[in-house]
Amino acid sequence: MSKIFLIARSELLRRVRSKTFVLTTLLAPLLIVAATLLPILVVVLTQDDTVRTVALVNQTGEPALADSVAAALPDGFRVVQPALPLDSLRARVLRGGLDGFLVLPRGLLAGTEEAAYYSRGAGLGAQEGVRSAVRDAVRLHRIRAAGATDAVIAALDAPVALSLVTVTERGDEADTAFVSIIVGMMMGLLIYIAVLIYGITVMRGVIEEKTSRIVEVIASSARPFELMMGKVLGIGATGLVQFATWGALLVVLGAVAGPLLALTMGAAADPAALGAGMPGRPPAPEVDPAALAEAIAAVLAPGRLLTFVAFFLGGYLLCAALFAAVGSAVEQESDAQTLQLPVMLPLLVPMFFLQYVIDRPDAPLSVGLSLFPFSAPMLMTVRMAMTAVPLWQVGLAFLLLALSFVGLIWVAARIYRVGILMYGKKATLRDLWRWARTP
Amino acid sequence: MPALHVEHVTKRYARVVAVDGVSLTAEPGRIFGLLGPNGAGKTSTIRMIAAITAPDEGRIRFGDMPVGPATQQRMGYLPEERGLYRKLRVGEQLVYLARLKGLSARAAEAATRRWLERFDATGWYGNRVEELSKGMQQKVQFLTTVLHDPDLLIFDEPFSGLDPLNAELLHSVITEQRAAGRTVLFASHRMEQVEQLCDDLCLIAHGRVILAGPLREVKARYGRDTVALDFEGGITWLDALEAEGAVKVVVRSAGHATLRLNEGTPPRRVLEAALAGAREVVRFEVEEPPLSEIFVQAVEQAAAERAAA
Repeated sequence: MSKIFLIARSELLRRVRSKTFVLTTLLAPLLIVAATLLPILVVVLTQDDTVRTVALVNQTGEPALADSVAAALPDGFRVVQPALPLDSLRARVLRGGLDGFLVLPRGLLAGTEEAAYYSRGAGLGAQEGVRSAVRDAVRLHRIRAAGATDAVIAALDAPVALSLVTVTERGDEADTAFVSIIVGMMMGLLIYIAVLIYGITVMRGVIEEKTSRIVEVIASSARPFELMMGKVLGIGATGLVQFATWGALLVVLGAVAGPLLALTMGAAADPAALGAGMPGRPPAPEVDPAALAEAIAAVLAPGRLLTFVAFFLGGYLLCAALFAAVGSAVEQESDAQTLQLPVMLPLLVPMFFLQYVIDRPDAPLSVGLSLFPFSAPMLMTVRMAMTAVPLWQVGLAFLLLALSFVGLIWVAARIYRVGILMYGKKATLRDLWRWARTP
Repeated sequence: MPALHVEHVTKRYARVVAVDGVSLTAEPGRIFGLLGPNGAGKTSTIRMIAAITAPDEGRIRFGDMPVGPATQQRMGYLPEERGLYRKLRVGEQLVYLARLKGLSARAAEAATRRWLERFDATGWYGNRVEELSKGMQQKVQFLTTVLHDPDLLIFDEPFSGLDPLNAELLHSVITEQRAAGRTVLFASHRMEQVEQLCDDLCLIAHGRVILAGPLREVKARYGRDTVALDFEGGITWLDALEAEGAVKVVVRSAGHATLRLNEGTPPRRVLEAALAGAREVVRFEVEEPPLSEIFVQAVEQAAAERAAA
């Protein structure tokens, strides 16, 4: 059996069985789901179901307006119209007999005066309810006063929809730009974070082997290159195991959490139902869960997932070898800071251009950056989620990635070979360069 | 079983010449002692023999094979700086390291069990290394060098940190390996251990061989110029003897002295002085110098030659 395989296997088993790995792998998806669900649950469970009693003071001289305002107020408002002066209304608000009072002044319909809502401080939800009720009622009244028929009003309220269609070689597809951007960006960031985390894990592993001096024992059994590659591949495999577990757990948790969420929130969770409850407002944009799922599925098609994994591995291998070289040169992690810089800088480049690539996925700069080996894993993934990237570009990106991997691993192995046996003195970048050139 | 040949090997690091034209031959069925003060180039030489680093000049052969991945498989190496995976369990660790030496999973497992039993350590199989005491870790480390039945064994300070009982155990395993016809390389600066174990020796200082040959021969070369004395009474006669330049006192304690005779001093001169000065002479013996004394002399002489050159 090849030594690289043996070393990688031992590395993988050792890591996968560690308590930290098991904990982070199992807890991370729970945390993610909890972080997504908790805010929603908090809103739902603390929903304001108290009834507010509000006095309406209509000075417009249009009794119908008061009725339409009262009708437009959302659930939870009880409207009274006592014939009391404002001072006594104010006193009743202060005493708590009233939650507030709404004054519709004479000039409201003409637009010369403002309506006013008096309360002991209205919550955001109440504010918004009152504001839109007044606005809707006044608008309706003005339109009618201008002589609009019911037909005109219905025409104004009728939905206006625009659907975006992407033209691809496979035929027209529903444009899911929004979903593509979100999913593409998440995948790109995931690659970036994963490459960084597992790259640093490689560096830590190398430092640990060096400080525990086990490296000399291993070096008397395997060539440094085998040791380095075995470590890099083993930790890469650990990463894949972690990803696969997370993916599976998220699917399971999603399947469980979805219905659970719907159950907790009931009808209130349905945005369409909320919108429909407000007459005179344009209906909320149609969110078809099936279409959304389809859009996500399109971005996460098996082919895409495959290139995602391939780009993760490519980016990881490229950086892990360099991290291994850096780790071999130091005896503790804090000494690695300055040496890490040349590895971290090219990794940071794609972050600066992420927004640009999202805005203009087909601009020459975007294409160039998505081919450049260090930024390809992240930016090509983003581009592929957003636009139809020609196959040759994907192929070229992989080819360049593979070529630079071969070149870098060669340099890294030469640094590593010298570094793992160096003790005592802090190495500089110049030392690393010298090691790489020694025969 | 093949012999190990180191031929005119030189190794340079940056500006330092760590090993400077070293040649030596370690024969199978014998224990070869590699001695030298700290920083003499022992570890550098051993690393090249273990094919961890490559010489800049010269070559190293095991039999007729240049050292490399193939000879590594047939070699067991106990580095001076010990190291194991702290979180890994003892059994797994031994099996893994044996498999890196080319053993099959089954053979590695069997060898691990067999050796743990031999070392009275079957119970450690499932323990993490970090749970073991320092001495136990030492024994585990020693096992990694012998598990795969290597033809060439390299022990760098194998006894450091061991209690006498465990040192005895290792001692017997090492001599067993010699009896089995294997080539054993033993690096140390503990002279009494070298004297006990080695058949041949090679003393390195400043990267060069300054003394080499079979132990008996080397000792004979330094002649019988050492006198061991057990006596009762005062010691002023000894100081007088040293003051007049007849002897050099190597060891001095209550009732005992080891002296080196300076050139032209007959042993009876010491005996006469002792008989005259001490209350009683219990033992008087002319013997070969201890290895440590040879070591010091050789290093001093080499330093003087270097200064002259």
